[in-house]
Amino acid sequence: MNNSSKVFIADGIDKVYAMGDVKVNALRDISFSIQTGEYVAIMGPSGSGKSTLMHIMGCLDRPTSGSLYLRGKDIGSLSDGELAEIRNTEIGFVFQNFNLLPNMSILENVELPLLYAGMPARERRTRATWALEVVGLADRLRHKPNEISGGQKQRVSIARAMVNQPAILLADEPTGNLDTATGKEIMALFDELNAKGNTIILVTHERDVAEHATRIIYILDGRIEHFEFRIQDEEEHVPVWEVVEA
Amino acid sequence: MNLKEFIRIAFHSLSANKLRTALSLLGIIIGVASVITMVAIGTGAQEQVTGQIGAMGSNLITVSPGFSRGGGGRISQDIADVFTLEMAEAIKNASPNIKHVVPTSETSGLAVYRGNNVRVRISGVTPEYQEVINHYPLVGRYVREQDVANSEKVTVLGSEVASELFGPENPVGQSIRVVIGDRSYSLRVIGVMESKGQVMMANYDNRIYVPITMLIKRGLKTRYVDGYSIEAASRDVAKSVVQEVEVFMTRMLGDADRFRVMSQDTILETVSQATGTLTLLLGAIASIALLVGGIGIMNIMLVTVSERTREIGIRKAIGAKRKHILMQFLLEAVLLSGLGGILGLGTGWAGGYWLSRGLGWPFSVSPVAVVIAIGFSVCIGLFFGIYPASKAASLDPVVALRYE
Ligand SMILES: Nc1ncnc2c1ncn2[C@@H]1O[C@H](COP(=O)(O)OP(=O)(O)OP(=O)(O)O)[C@@H](O)[C@H]1O
Ligand SMILES: [Mg+2]
Repeated sequence: MNNSSKVFIADGIDKVYAMGDVKVNALRDISFSIQTGEYVAIMGPSGSGKSTLMHIMGCLDRPTSGSLYLRGKDIGSLSDGELAEIRNTEIGFVFQNFNLLPNMSILENVELPLLYAGMPARERRTRATWALEVVGLADRLRHKPNEISGGQKQRVSIARAMVNQPAILLADEPTGNLDTATGKEIMALFDELNAKGNTIILVTHERDVAEHATRIIYILDGRIEHFEFRIQDEEEHVPVWEVVEA
Repeated sequence: MNLKEFIRIAFHSLSANKLRTALSLLGIIIGVASVITMVAIGTGAQEQVTGQIGAMGSNLITVSPGFSRGGGGRISQDIADVFTLEMAEAIKNASPNIKHVVPTSETSGLAVYRGNNVRVRISGVTPEYQEVINHYPLVGRYVREQDVANSEKVTVLGSEVASELFGPENPVGQSIRVVIGDRSYSLRVIGVMESKGQVMMANYDNRIYVPITMLIKRGLKTRYVDGYSIEAASRDVAKSVVQEVEVFMTRMLGDADRFRVMSQDTILETVSQATGTLTLLLGAIASIALLVGGIGIMNIMLVTVSERTREIGIRKAIGAKRKHILMQFLLEAVLLSGLGGILGLGTGWAGGYWLSRGLGWPFSVSPVAVVIAIGFSVCIGLFFGIYPASKAASLDPVVALRYE
């Protein structure tokens, strides 16, 4: 197997939450791989373990057993500091509820990853302004998060995720708190970023949203239930999804 | 790491919750202010006392009775009946650096003039005494050699006594009655002293001065005096004069325990030691307030950390390392306590100034106290901030993000 073109390889990941005597098996024996530049959607009912998986891929958490390789590195063997560095430079994370810091201006929010990367102030400003221009918010730099709409907040969140130019963008229900029209705008942004070569993995409940991806991973009860691949049907110009059992 | 940036962030979050910041500042302000005030009062007292001793002439040496050792149920007490009038002349031979030796005796009594009466200290003196303690009559004259030789019934009044007995009237030439024990004497006023004020616990203005012979022979019916005041030729020789007098008197009395010889400098040392201890004690008590302020900071920081769990999660999610979070919260605590220290310094300064003015003491805040107070409060911030900060820094990003 040629691993160099794979961003992620999940190899039998289990995640168990122990709550007193009760053990919750949030993920069981998850295995898959994701290519550089792929556009993947993860679907599944509530409580199936989508966020848990995203957190592990986002290097926010480690698997209980099994391994997740990020470009060949087993993240389970990395220190907290190394994981923080990966979160800072290699992965951008977009949350359903935006997770912006309320006391800071939009510009400062977007600058934050660069601050932790140790970039000087002037350069930070330029880069953050650029990222906000990309998401179409160049005119709202001084506003606080509570002064803008939900769609705009998600744009800020995306700008923050991509400001350090990571190759991988993870989004956990990025349109979950937005209306359909706004959700479409956000998805257009992701499509654009994927077209530029970014690997994008997103979690969603909505079929429409998931169909922006080229592959859907369907999770049920912590297990991968099936994959769906988009096959371009040249004649009918509508995507056809081929189901492959796990 | 970009320290300036992190200080800005810390300021930012402190100003986001102004009331809480102000309240936790208050704890430190009160702590530092009380340390500064207390130490200022202590050092003020010290300067007050030592300044007075200096004013009395630092070449003054006093000889006073020794104590008999307490023990075996006996109370330690001054040995009496050792010093005689005549010994004063002899002591003069102890050293060539002695200018004067004057015998001194004191008692208390009541001075009466017409309807007025006042409690007074009665000092038996010789003419040289005025020179020795630097205290001269303002009107009239002092006790003379002849008055001493004849045990004359004359007196020089302290300024307070004069004004209380006579008001605006000139006392010189009048007679007052002085009651010592159960006897009463009629004394002719020959002078009034200049005002000297309170010097080292002793008030020189509510005294009257009489010839020493008059006091001990007529008043106290004794041959003995309380002790001697010796004026050394200069401050520099005072120390060696003390030793010479000690040697001389040991030979004369055959017992080194029957007397004590002290120069102003040794008294000065003793007093500064005592007031130094007082200052330290006051400072220590005030430090408790500072400590309580520090605990207040820790409390606030702990609340802050748990309130901002989500913020910490977000910061970690986008790449903040342990050290970044640690630094952020530690800086907040240190800024809080440092700011409190500076404000407390101002408050304490004002409070100390106001108090010393009320007490009529010199006001001084030693730079050492300032440095210690500020440094200590910053250390308090560090000490009490480190636990909350490391608690924040070690939060698991996922747990923090899922935190509602
Ligand atoms: N910290 C935790 N402690 C205990 N159990 C947890 C914890 N986090 C998640 N779980 C459990 O793991 C399971 C998967 O949770 P997860 O959040 O990954 O689901 P999800 O697929 O993202 O659901 P949703 O669509 O509602 O967001 C759930 O049963 C949840 O209760
Ligand atoms: Mg979820």
